[in-house]
Amino acid sequence: MDIFLQQLINGLTIGSLYALVALGYTMVYGVMKLINFAHGDLVAFSAYVGLTIFSQLFGSSASSFVNVIIIFVLTSIIVAFVGVLLERLAYRPLRTAPRLSAVVSALGASLVIQNGIMLIWGPNMQIFPADLLPNTTWNFGGVIITFTQLCILILSAVLMAALFIFINKTKMGTAIRATAIDQDAAKLMGINVNKVITLIFIIGSMLGAIGGLFIGLYYRALTFDMGWLYGLNAFIAAIIGGIGSIPGAMIGGLLLGLFNALIAGYISTEWAETFTFILLIIILIVRPTGILGEKTAEKV
Amino acid sequence: MKKIVKALALSGIVACSLFASDVVKVGVQAPITGKYANEGQSIDNFVKLLVDEKNKEGGLLGKKIEVVTCDDEAKAQKAAVCAKKLVNAGVFAVIGSYTSGATEAAQTTYYRNKVLQTSDGTSDSLIKKKYWTFFRNSFPNEAQSDFTADYFVNVKKYQKIVVLSDYSSYSNGLGDATENSIKKIGGNVIFRGKIKSGTQNFTAVLTKIKAMNPDVIYYSGYYTDGGLLRAQQLQLGINADFVGGDSNDNPDFYKLAGKASAGTIIINFPTPEILPYKEAKKYLSAYKREFGANPPSIWPVTNADGLRAIFEAAEKTNSLDTKTISDYIRNTMKDFPGITGPFNIREDGERVGAKFVVYKLNDNGTKDVVEQ
Repeated sequence: MDIFLQQLINGLTIGSLYALVALGYTMVYGVMKLINFAHGDLVAFSAYVGLTIFSQLFGSSASSFVNVIIIFVLTSIIVAFVGVLLERLAYRPLRTAPRLSAVVSALGASLVIQNGIMLIWGPNMQIFPADLLPNTTWNFGGVIITFTQLCILILSAVLMAALFIFINKTKMGTAIRATAIDQDAAKLMGINVNKVITLIFIIGSMLGAIGGLFIGLYYRALTFDMGWLYGLNAFIAAIIGGIGSIPGAMIGGLLLGLFNALIAGYISTEWAETFTFILLIIILIVRPTGILGEKTAEKV
Repeated sequence: MKKIVKALALSGIVACSLFASDVVKVGVQAPITGKYANEGQSIDNFVKLLVDEKNKEGGLLGKKIEVVTCDDEAKAQKAAVCAKKLVNAGVFAVIGSYTSGATEAAQTTYYRNKVLQTSDGTSDSLIKKKYWTFFRNSFPNEAQSDFTADYFVNVKKYQKIVVLSDYSSYSNGLGDATENSIKKIGGNVIFRGKIKSGTQNFTAVLTKIKAMNPDVIYYSGYYTDGGLLRAQQLQLGINADFVGGDSNDNPDFYKLAGKASAGTIIINFPTPEILPYKEAKKYLSAYKREFGANPPSIWPVTNADGLRAIFEAAEKTNSLDTKTISDYIRNTMKDFPGITGPFNIREDGERVGAKFVVYKLNDNGTKDVVEQ
């Protein structure tokens, strides 16, 4: 039993990271009907930025909570800025172009960021310091939770709840939802669509940045092409949950993490990835819009 | 008359310039970027160091040596491209690559074009094709797996052994060989698993292993995953010993595992710093002078030995014909004084006379020799 619970904890941790990243995909898709393939690389970029901030500001001083919070805040701001810049340069000029052009532009932006990381930080693996967060672990009858895991679980739950409330209960959230349904009608109602899209990129990039920093804190090894790994998994999570749906991305991320952990733990590690794609195919066959995706009726 | 003199002079100039442009090219195929970049860059550095030295002595058989480097990123597809590129560049010998997979992908191209190739790849499959163009400058997996099995079963007396590898031909091969060697001498392998290199999250398989309560986890892959495996193993409260195969021996293992690296055991060749040979002292201090640090591992050093053996063979046979050089290295050369010890190559291209050392890592990044 404790082994099962341990796999659940492992799965939920990685699932929370997928969910944080998946939110970026799903929000951009919801509003712009665009898959932002550069999002995964933005996540990798944020991990590198966080590491650089750490080594430039606090490299020699003892690590403390305040330092970690400063790293999170600064990184989120920088990555949000890059996210907005990305939208301005790569997507805004193509907003009225055929959708394929925007997708190609997204793939191009992904390559630019990935190679940019390689040029700035070099091709070698970079390694996060081991003791940025305390190494405390708790043992509940054989089930072990580390401090970092607990931080990931709690903070991502809080962030997702906050996002959910923001989208559903505030005026700005209503504007975002309206824009997602119909951009032209939203414009007629006096919503500044450009502002909504900028906001979407700020929120998505910040959540991605926090995900990226957690990946750095939890796994510690950074490679310039790691964005692909997390981007792909988060993208699958977004599709499973129903792309465009915010609760869908959260559920999809958690489900994918759990599914991966259980398959790897009980069937075979070799086949975990294969089963992920089998799950994706089954969901696309049975419910093409994902778990929480809405069916849109074709209007004639 | 004037015309004849002029023509003679002209032909003289042409002949001279032809002779002057007569260079001999050596290829380096290594992961200059990517996950194993620091190994690949060091192979490239070492080759350039040796070539510079040779050029200062007047070159190889009077010809200036030129190095052509191709980055294979430790990927099979890129390795195949590199092989074509280096053959087209006209190299007579290629040093590399670091990984067995990339080496294997390039082997046939070099063989067909009669280009010598020497690699530190330890996968047993590299020698199976018996190409006369290929010889190995390090020791095969089977030598290491026999040593490891003996250490596990007879020295440490482990009862429950877990063997993990990744999917690369080197790591998978070493994992299988180790499992077989342990079983051969009566050891008990309770689990043989594989991880996907680069996925970072190994908690699922480790949790599965935890339920088996093993005495030791042996990992036959590379340091980039080994360090994380060790850190996650301790996080999950698995108190088994962790033993890494040769490719875990890299300073980055300590950086990845942090304090968790304390107590990790690594089985490898002697590392560069403790090589007792005269050549080792000479070349490693030259390397440090030139590049400011020791090579990250033994592998660039074994590759350097491969190149030195080729130089030696070319000079002793006074020929740049690759078949002649290959024959000399296989049949005539005995105990060539390598940086990594006496250098002997068997008929099938295998290096013989393996020597291994057991290291134990401390929590500050240093390591002690436990057994030699």
